Amino acid sequence: MTSLSRRAFVTAATASLLVGCGGGDRTGRATPERRESTSPSSRPPAKATRALGRSVPVGLEIPAIGVDTPVMQLGLARDRTVQVPPLTADDVAGWYRHSPTPGRLGPSVILGHVTVGVHGDGVFRHLTRLRRSDRIVARLENGTAAVFAVDSIRTVAKADFPTDAVYGNVDRPELRLITCGGPRTGEEYRDNVIVFAALSSASP
Amino acid sequence: MRRTVFSAAALACTAVLASAVPAFADDPTPVAEATATPSVSPAPTDSPEPAPAEEGSTGGVSVVPSGAPDTGAAPESAQSGAEAGLIGGGATAVLAAGGAAVFLVRRRRATGA
Repeated sequence: MTSLSRRAFVTAATASLLVGCGGGDRTGRATPERRESTSPSSRPPAKATRALGRSVPVGLEIPAIGVDTPVMQLGLARDRTVQVPPLTADDVAGWYRHSPTPGRLGPSVILGHVTVGVHGDGVFRHLTRLRRSDRIVARLENGTAAVFAVDSIRTVAKADFPTDAVYGNVDRPELRLITCGGPRTGEEYRDNVIVFAALSSASP
Repeated sequence: MRRTVFSAAALACTAVLASAVPAFADDPTPVAEATATPSVSPAPTDSPEPAPAEEGSTGGVSVVPSGAPDTGAAPESAQSGAEAGLIGGGATAVLAAGGAAVFLVRRRRATGA
């Protein structure tokens, strides 16, 4: 092989190595998110704040993680899964309209994105940072607000989604906040992050 | 002779690039589609769900959804990472083809074919 050929090959091989190393898919990296407590057992006594009247939620505030968002209404998708808010830059939370309104007896379910594709972070990006007793305020259409206190935060694999714990009957007004979490494979998050909260007070 | 070698290499690289460019040009379309998941439509008319039943005095969820909610679409960095991998693979193929062309032309010249 002549010197020119050798040079051509060396150049091509070096360039290939450089280009190949620069373009890796980083989606498989593990997120620093840690698995939170998996037991919602630490409930305060069932004798809690009296249930409120029915009024749909229009806003949600979570001061501990800087959330202050409008709340839209969600139903069921064609595949019978729960709808989620659209992927937009001004991401909002959504209340599942077949669940009780916040402050009514039972589990009121509100969902939000952790990330919204090209738009970056979602409204529930920092849900895992919540701690027990943190305050969650659901503003209602009738001008009142239902105030909840966090009981527990669970990070569970989507494959083992705890349907009963999330949607099952309970004997007091409760709230569920749901988003995605855990490591990502492609565009899919492996887990769901679920915050369990109970009504602590109501403001007029 | 050297001019012949370089001309052949340039021609080969141009041909490979010309065939690879249309593949790159199509990249943005699937990314844009991937962000619009069919399940995100907020329009109630999209879903064949039962009549909106208000929760009763039992305090439960009137219609329990199936499966887990999909509340996260990969952020921009992840998507661009995948694109970078694709482009990197294409560039590698182009460079390898160019090198092979130079080698073949040199070899033919050396053997006098």
